Parts: sequence; C-alpha cells; structure tokens
Amino acid sequence: MRIVCPFCGERELGEFTYLGDAKPVRPEAGASEDEVFDYVYLRDNVAGQTSEYWYHGGGCRAWLKLTRNTLTHEISSVEPAAGVGARQAVK
Amino acid sequence: MTSQSHRLTSGGLIDRSASLNFRFDGKAFSGFQGDTLASALIANGIKLVGRSFKYHRPRGILTSGSEEPNALVELRTGARREPNTKATTAELYEGLEAASQNRWPSLRHDVMSVNQLFAPIFVAGFYYKTFMWPAKFWEAIYEPAIRRAAGLGRAAGVADPDHYDKAWAHCDVLIAGSGPAGLAAALAAGRAGARVILCEEDFSLGGRLLSDGGTIDGVPAAEWLSRTLAKLADMPDVRIMPRTTLFGVYDGGTYGAIERVNDHLPSPPEHQVRQRLWRIVARRCVVAAGAIERPIVFAGNDTPGVMMASAMRTYIARYAATPAKRVALFTNNEDGWRTVETALGAGLQIAAVIDARPDISPAHRSLASKSAFPVLHGSVTGVDGGKDGVRKIAVSLTGDARAEVEADGLAVSGGWNPAVGLTSYHRGRPKWRDDIAAFVPDGAPPGMVAAGAANGDFGLSACLSQGFAAGAAAARDAGHSGKAGTAPVADDEAFSLTPLWHVAGKGKAFVDYQHDVTASDIELAQREGFESVEHLKRYTTLGMATDQGKTSNVAGLAIMAAVSGRSIPETGTTIYRPPYVPVAIGAFAGHHRDETFHATRLTPSHHWAVEQGAVFVDTGLWKRAQWYPRAGEKDWLDSVTREVKAVRGGVGFCDVSTLGKIDVHGPDAGAFLDRVYINTFSNLAVGKARYGLMLREDGMVYDDGTTSRLAEDHYFLTTTTAKAGLVMQHLEFCRQVLFPELDVQLTSVSDQWAQFSIAGPKTRDLLKEIVDPAEDLSNEGFPFMGAREVRLRGGLKARLFRISFSGEMAFEISVPARFGGAMARNLMLAGAPFGVTPYGTEALGVMRVEKGHIAGPELSGTTTAADLGLGKMMSTKKDYIGRVMAGRKALVAPDRQVVVGIKPTDKARRLRSGAHIIPKGQTPGPDNDQGYVTSVCFSPTSDQWIGLALVERGRERIGEIVHAHDPIRGEDYDVELCNPVFYDPDGGRQRG
Amino acid sequence: MSSCAILSSTIRMEGASVADFSWTARSPLEHALVAGTHGARGVEAGVSLTEIRNFDLIQVMARRGQGAELGKAAKARFGVAVPDAPKAVQTSDATLIWSGPDQFFVLSKGGKHAMQTLAPALSGSLSDQSHARALISISGAKARAMLAKLSSIDLHSDAFPVGAAAATSMDHTSVTLWRGGDRPDGQAVFNLLVFATFAESLWHTMLDSAAEYGVATGHSAELA
Repeated sequence: MRIVCPFCGERELGEFTYLGDAKPVRPEAGASEDEVFDYVYLRDNVAGQTSEYWYHGGGCRAWLKLTRNTLTHEISSVEPAAGVGARQAVK
Repeated sequence: MTSQSHRLTSGGLIDRSASLNFRFDGKAFSGFQGDTLASALIANGIKLVGRSFKYHRPRGILTSGSEEPNALVELRTGARREPNTKATTAELYEGLEAASQNRWPSLRHDVMSVNQLFAPIFVAGFYYKTFMWPAKFWEAIYEPAIRRAAGLGRAAGVADPDHYDKAWAHCDVLIAGSGPAGLAAALAAGRAGARVILCEEDFSLGGRLLSDGGTIDGVPAAEWLSRTLAKLADMPDVRIMPRTTLFGVYDGGTYGAIERVNDHLPSPPEHQVRQRLWRIVARRCVVAAGAIERPIVFAGNDTPGVMMASAMRTYIARYAATPAKRVALFTNNEDGWRTVETALGAGLQIAAVIDARPDISPAHRSLASKSAFPVLHGSVTGVDGGKDGVRKIAVSLTGDARAEVEADGLAVSGGWNPAVGLTSYHRGRPKWRDDIAAFVPDGAPPGMVAAGAANGDFGLSACLSQGFAAGAAAARDAGHSGKAGTAPVADDEAFSLTPLWHVAGKGKAFVDYQHDVTASDIELAQREGFESVEHLKRYTTLGMATDQGKTSNVAGLAIMAAVSGRSIPETGTTIYRPPYVPVAIGAFAGHHRDETFHATRLTPSHHWAVEQGAVFVDTGLWKRAQWYPRAGEKDWLDSVTREVKAVRGGVGFCDVSTLGKIDVHGPDAGAFLDRVYINTFSNLAVGKARYGLMLREDGMVYDDGTTSRLAEDHYFLTTTTAKAGLVMQHLEFCRQVLFPELDVQLTSVSDQWAQFSIAGPKTRDLLKEIVDPAEDLSNEGFPFMGAREVRLRGGLKARLFRISFSGEMAFEISVPARFGGAMARNLMLAGAPFGVTPYGTEALGVMRVEKGHIAGPELSGTTTAADLGLGKMMSTKKDYIGRVMAGRKALVAPDRQVVVGIKPTDKARRLRSGAHIIPKGQTPGPDNDQGYVTSVCFSPTSDQWIGLALVERGRERIGEIVHAHDPIRGEDYDVELCNPVFYDPDGGRQRG
Repeated sequence: MSSCAILSSTIRMEGASVADFSWTARSPLEHALVAGTHGARGVEAGVSLTEIRNFDLIQVMARRGQGAELGKAAKARFGVAVPDAPKAVQTSDATLIWSGPDQFFVLSKGGKHAMQTLAPALSGSLSDQSHARALISISGAKARAMLAKLSSIDLHSDAFPVGAAAATSMDHTSVTLWRGGDRPDGQAVFNLLVFATFAESLWHTMLDSAAEYGVATGHSAELA
C-alpha cells in the first residue's frame, strides 16, 4: 500500500501509522459522558468509503485524513489535518 | 563418475567446455555449465529422482520449470541443506550435492512404498477420518508417525549461515517474463523512454524461445534473442533481472520479487547475499509469464519417464539431454507435436503419437509416414513400468480397439494453462475460454495487463505483437511519449485442441502429483458432498503443496465439473494468493536477524559504560547499562545493592538520556499542556519543573514525566523511555487534529541532550566541582523542582533540573549529547573524593520502588490516576484528554485495585512480580482474586524484599495480611499491605 | 554550539590534589567509524561513506499563521527563499533543508548560524539539533544500489535530482536525506541526517549493505 502524502509525495505504507476512523469529532468541553463515550468507542464498520487518520511519522510528521475504500483499498483522497504545520484554524 | 550417457553429441545451450561434477544420493556424476540438476540427471540416464508424499511412489521429472511437482530434492548439505528444492530450477554448479527425499533406506528400496498396498485407506480426508480418537494420541503418536512417513525432506536444523537482504526498486513498466512477449514489451517500453524492469525466473533469458526456436523478423529465434538483448542492454533505464521471480502484487503498484543472487553457487562469495527480496514499485506491469503445460490424468501417469511434452523438448533442445531413446507422445492439441519434431531432429525414435483429437493436420500426417511412426487416435489408459521408467503404454483407440506401444518415454500434452496467478492476486477470478479450454485473466489489479501466452494467446506471432503493444501502452500510460517503433513479427501458428482431462483406466491416475491426489479422490470428495472448489481443495489437499497446484488445479476442477454435472466455469476456481513460488523466510527477514534483528539505540555515554564493564539490558530499542559489576561481587544483586547503598549514603549517577524529550514552543504552549496533562502547566513559573500525568481519552493513564518551563513560550517535556515515540505522535495528533487553534509547535529533542541523574546526599558536593562556582546550588538558590540553564566549569552550558526519582537529594543535568561521554568521565573524576558510583537501571528501579514511584508495570493501560494514588492531581477547573471517561462509574468505583506497598511477613522471603493477591484464609481462584504484584525488588534500605501491588481497596487495608499466590512458580506466602512509600515518606531527603 | 568544542578546566579538589578534565565532544560514530576500506576486496570501493563532523543544525518551525513571515525573515537572513517543498537549498554559508510543512533545518558551520545567532533573526520556534543528528555523506558508483537496500524512495536522477530532499525512514529510523551537488567525477552525492542515538546502528547496517560493493569510510569536517 502506498499513500500520497500531500507534502512528501507518494510513500510506502511503512512510513505511516494508522490511527482509525476520522469521522468521530471530539466533543467540546462540557459534553456529556454519553457523547464522549460515543466519540471514544462507537465506530461504523463500513464496507466502502471510509475516512481515516494516518500519521506520517516516518516522514514529515503530518497527520493526514484519508478517504479509503475498504473493499478495494483504493485511496481517493489524502487531506492534511486542519492544524498541520503552521496552518491556523479557528475553532 | 559416470559418463553422460544420455547427452547428445552436439547442440543445446550448455557450455561443454565447463564440465561440472556433482553427486546425487552420494553417487558421482558430471554435467555442464548451463544445466539444471534435472537436465544433468537426465543426461546421466537417471529417471527415478524421488518418492511421492503419501504413497512413496517412484517419481521422475515431470516438467522443466518452477511448476515441478515431482523432482524435489534436498539440495546442499549441513547448515545449507534445503529440502523440497526443485531439481528443475536448481542450477548445476561444481560440487553440487543433492539427495532424494521421502525414501528409506534408499530411493530404490523404500520400505514405506507398502503404503501403496494400503491405498484404499489413504484416500481424500484420510487424516480427518482416521486419527480422530483418542484426542491425546494425536500429538504423542499419530503426528510424529505421520511426519516420519510423509515428511517432505529435512530442514537443516541449524541456523542458515548465509545472508539475505531486501531492496527497493522503482520503474515505470515492470515486466514479468523474458519470453517473446516480455522481450517485445521491454523493447517497446524502453524505446518509448520508460524505466523498465524485467524479471525472469530462469537464469537464461528467452523463455520458450530457448526450447522452441522459430523465426522472428526473418532470422532464427536465437539470433533475434541475442540482438534484442543487446538492444535492451544499451538502454540505461532498462534493467533485466534474471533468476528473479515476481511472486506477488500488493496495493498501490507494489510487487514482490525474489532474486536468487547466488543460489547457483555452492555458497555465496564473501560479502554477498544468497537471495534478495525486492519490493518493486511500478506504475504499470505487463505480465508475460507465459503458460504452463498441463498433464492429462490417466493411470500410471506418474511413472518415471512420463513427462510434459514441452519439458521433453526443452531437455532435448536446450540441454541436449535425452529423457528417452524411444519416445511416445500423448497429446490432445497441435502444440504437442513440436516434441515429435524436436525428438526426430535429435535422432530419437518416435514409438507412436497418441492423439486424442478426431483429426490431425496433413503436415503431421505426412511427417508420420515419412518418419515411419504410427499415429493412434485414442487415449493412453495405462503405463506399464516402475522405478526404472516406462516400458509399455496401453492405448484405447477410438471404437473400443486397444493397442500397446513400447517406449521408454512418454511425452504428454493436455494443452496450456495461462499463468493467471499474478493477475488474480487481488481476488480476481479468471474467466474460461472455450477455444483453448483454459482460464485466462479477466481483468487484473490496477495498472497490470497480461500479454501473450499469459493472456491465452499462445502463438509466437501473437506473443510478439501483444507484448509489444502492451509495453508501448504501459510506457504511454506512465507518461512516456517516445516512439516505440514497430513490433517484431513471426508467422502465425495454428492451435487446435480437443479438451481431454481424464482417461478412465485401472490404477492410480494422479491429478496433484506432489500431494498424491488422484482422480478417484476427487470423485470421492464429490460423493461426500465436498463439491465447492474451496471444499474440494481443503478436503483432498489438491493444489495445497508447495507447487500450489500449478500443474494440477485445472485438471482437478475439470474432473469435479464432470462428476458433478457442471461446466468448468460453473465449478470455478479457488482464490489465488501469493507467493507464486515459495520464498525463504530468510529473504523476508533480510538483514533483520540476530544482533541486527532491529535497529539499536545507544545512549550518549554507552561506550564509556562499556569501558566500565557494565552489563546491558535491551529496553525497547535501547541498550541500557543495567548494573556495573565489580570484582568480588558474586551476582547482580551484590552489584545492585552496592549501587543503591552508594547513592543513599553518598552520591551516584545514571544516564537517563533514554527519556523522550520534546520542546514545546509557542504562546499557547501552556494551554496546550493543560489539555494533554491532567494537571495544570500554564501556571508553572519559568525556571520550574512539575510532574505531569497524561491520560488516554478513555480515562486510563497513558504516560508520565516532568515538564519544565524554560521560557515564557518554551516548555521542555519529558516522557517515559517506553512511550517516547508514541507520546510524540499523540501530542502531534492533539496539535494538528484536536486543537489546531492553539499556537504551539513540537520538536523532538530526545537525541540532542545527554541527561544524567545525579543522586544522593553528596550530590551538591559533586555538582559544585562540575558547575561554575558562580552558580548558586543552595536550597534557596536552586530549590526542589527548580529548572534552569547553568554554566559548567570550562564554559559549557547545561540544563539543570532539581528533580528526584530516587527520593534522594538529586539533580538531573543535561548537556549536548556529544558531551555525554565527557560528562560521565568528569563526574567520575570530580566525584572520586565522594565515592561517586555509576548506577544502572536495576538500582534505578530499586530506588523507585523504595520510594513508591510508579513505572511501566503500574502504567499498564488499565490503571487510572486514582488507582496510582494520583487522583488529586486531576484538575477540576479545565478540560483535558480523558477527563470525562475517567469519571465513569466503574473507573471511580471504591473497590478498584489500587497501588499499595507489600512486604513479606517472613522477612527472608523473596517476592516475585505477577503473584496474585488473595484474602487471607481463602482458596486461590478467580472469584477471590483481588489483584497482583506489579513490581518487586530487594531493598537494601529495608534489608528485605519489598514490592508494589494493585490490590482491591488496597489503601484502606494498610496493615492487613493477605496471601500471595504464584501458580506459575508454585509459591504461596503471606504479605502485609503497607504504604507504598517505603523510604523517607515525608520527602525530607529530596527537598534537603 | 559547535560540536568540536573542547573546553578545558582544572578542578581544584579537596585538599591539595588537582585533577584536569575537559569537555571533549565525541561524535556518535566515533566508536563505529574505522576509516579505511571494508567489504569486497580487489575492487575500487563502490560506496564511499563520509561522516561530516562539527556542524550546527537548527530546526526552525513557523508559528501559527506565520509561515510567510518566517519565510521573509529567512530570506533576509540567507538571501534565498526557504524551501517550501522537499528540497535543499544551498547558500554561501548554509544549507536550508525542508523537514516538513512550514519547517526547515539550517545546516552550517562555525557558529555562524548557531542557536544564539539565529534565534534573534528568525521569528519561529527554534530547536538546536546539532547534537541530535549524525551527518553522513554517501557517494560512489554503487551508492544508489546500497541505498536501495535502506530507502524505499526512488533515488533515480529523474525522481531525485540535485537539490531534492526527503523526510523519510531507513531501517525504521527517521532520516533526512537530500542530494547535494555532484562530485567532480559526476557521481551523485546523498547526504543523510540520522538521529544520533541510532547512528551507530544505521552505520553498521550501511556497512553491511555496502560490503558487497566495497566501501571506503572516513570523516571530514567539511560540509559536502
């Protein structure tokens, strides 16, 4: 498997670490236990397009959000995390 | 040495000036450079080369390539002995030694061949049906006996002395196979300007051209071949890799290939590897891997001397070796007749051609009459022969007549199966083509295309034009627009075939030679309901041997189709999986074995510690000094006890550079740390350090360490040794994904700093000799948890942290890493008057247990901050990672297992980690298991063994006597629960 | 802080005895590096490995939203644009090497662009990495063949020309790799920064990988 890092170009799998589903969003401070529980534990088991977090730890240390098809393994997009590098994100 | 009695006097692609001696089953023979072991054995008249797996049937050589199911030998001797090596691909070298397998006491007299007499019980599913009861007999009796009877050669039993390595390669167009299609593809892609890699399994390039000849572009194939190879050699970006098998295709255009770099030599030359595993990244791939000729299943089809027709002409044409003097051919297609032409050309007799087709071409008819051999329209029903080879062949003619043919060799051609492995490895299912009665690729993994025989188009002309077109298209798709020129041309050839899979007859008819699966096994499987091909495969083990059914799978499916009344495409194929050929585990390991199993990290004072005679321990990738033995110490405990006493009574130092170190920069650095630690860091004063604890989002403790504030916008964070990389990854996730609004930057500076812990009541005395006298090290000038840059004597700048893991008056000092060795030397020098003692990780561990500090065994991923006695650190004024989940009912339950100290009631007893804690007087068992011992040590300070344990409500039970149960070591004893801080509980020493 | 510094001092001990000690920097490869030729004999060494000692290496990272400002400041300091893609840029007295989005290394000698001098000139987050890395220069006719055993990236001239850089891994170890100017004989030069604590391990792996080609080893104080 190869991932096209938006910064480094195409690299082999061994440079990356998989984290998991990128769909759940961390609840804001003050969220209920149920909301945080869902964020921490509940995952869809998708047959098809999923979004996933990967870390280019063996390269530029950017966190990446991949769209990947679990049936074909095809990676259709690779986006940098909102706060990669010096990018300013407003919350 | 015997003469090469079956070698033609001229011809072949062997070097007759390079004679090679070799031994087979201890007997001396000779062959030539350019031979395989198989061709050399044939040249010496050897027909019997092995015994079969299950029935110990005598077996000869069936094929001339990597599909060989029969001629498996143990190659080489001693540590290099390699079982199940195909004689058909093993290159001959001077001094080669090979032994037949699966026979005892000798190949010709094998006592296990009585298995044939019991053949009715060795049917499909034999093991499942027979060795069912009693279950305990399996390991003790059945399995060893089966292994002795059915083993496939013997492994060397000792470590492989050779080296292997792995490498990456990159290209635009990857080509599998150097036959006419592959070479034409390489020519087209190379001319277009693409970077090309061509992998060829064989040691000679050319594929079937080497055996079948032909005319290309008006010249003989051999001449075209040498011209083409010369052209390719002139292209700097075309790389030809002989002895290299492309064995798998993986996601993203990554391919696996195994290069047998030095398998053709007795042992690799000095500094060279035996084999190299290639990972090839290619934009496009042209599979020109050819096709595999398939046997026809008939009784006695495994008799030595029965050989694939294409293999027979390869041995004759390429190796000038004659498998038989009087050859019969059994074919159902046009192509088989080439063997007749080749054999006649070599002066061999043709006994007969048995052709299953209703009609043959006029050209062949006139060849038969000119050369005076009969053409029998019918099928072979049986072979009379044995370990000395074929004698007579029984033929059933069209219309019930029978005939007998006397011959010493039988060439068989049942048609050709395209090599659909590579194209099917992404769960592709090949499709059936009626005209050639074979499966052909139906699509392929992205970027891959099959050409020529691999695509089901067998003629030389089709191979050349398809290969060329595929190569040109692949180059174009990869972005190369150069002109590919024109394709090489050859005359068209006819291909006619009448499908024939199985001829009924008396006696065993083998489908899978290597696993001894017969036609009747398949019929039995069908009768017993194992009709699905995946069931058929597993029930009969068809296609599950090391050859992966290259010669057997399609025939097996065809027989199943016939007996189950379905068509072959309806019956379908099993899933194809890599590797295409067996790949040695050594090649997958490459450099990563023994001492170089993984990369190693060395601390900045490593070589100094080596000089001191330290004993090292592997902690993750690190080598750390575990203790420093001195003369007269009888064991590690002596050394460790001395080191602990030296620190507690004077001063010692330890290299703690293995801690992860991270620069946290930016105006929001404090706010960021507040979110990743349970306690607050934004209010930490510049020049101060604080202990911090991180949770995972699920509320469990993740890591701990001290973090210092070196400037308003600069914190220096430390992690545990074990989690250094993971914490960096976690913090980057927090920075980039969870909290992108915070202005904070992270940099690992783990390797920048050599860090030493200096501990003991005389620490300050020692430091005064190292640190510039202008620096104030007094309790007021540098209080507990102070952190700042200091100047050392000599001008070097260092960072000094007044933190303590040992519970003593202690500092940690950091210098740029290249001064790490100098720091250790200078501490020894300056500390000599104070009896300074270097200490290792064991003493470090003893002192942290004495002090009740948590470490790896307590940070187990199942403990909360409160479990560790650190619940009060959890801020209630801010959000942080893990806060909400840490508040879950079960995680704050009063009966959780919490860290507590333990000491044995018998002061002389040794404690061990892992023992279970059971209430006193109760029988040990899961129902009353209240926790376990996490860390233990012999405490020189307490003069007894002490430990830490996770025990239910442990802190409420101080003073209670409980039972420690250690079923693994068979120990049972009582321990007292106590305060985990055994040493200096009020902390006066570290603050003093 | 220049890593070759040898700082001496005399410690006055209790009583009359006096001991000398010095702060001598030792390269992380000092033990492993035995200058000479290794591996295959009777051939011209196919791989040349030269450790570059004595350098300053500062990692510079832009603060949030300050990428352009940092670029401007760096351009004022170095006279060239900072690489914003995996490249290495050579100036008269420094090499700027891309190390990730909005961050780069400044590699120089003699303290000219060391921490103390660089920090006031650049408005980012700076970390001194001079001691955190070993620098190895790799060249020779078989340099690419040897590197193919260690690196998964494509080092063909078309894919990795002079000035190309990569943050990548070798033997599961993070490295920074860039192509310097070709040698006078036209052969490519690959420069490699590896974590200091991994350096000896990777060095041995490189020697093993290069052994079949013959390998010449040495060290130099000059940046390639």
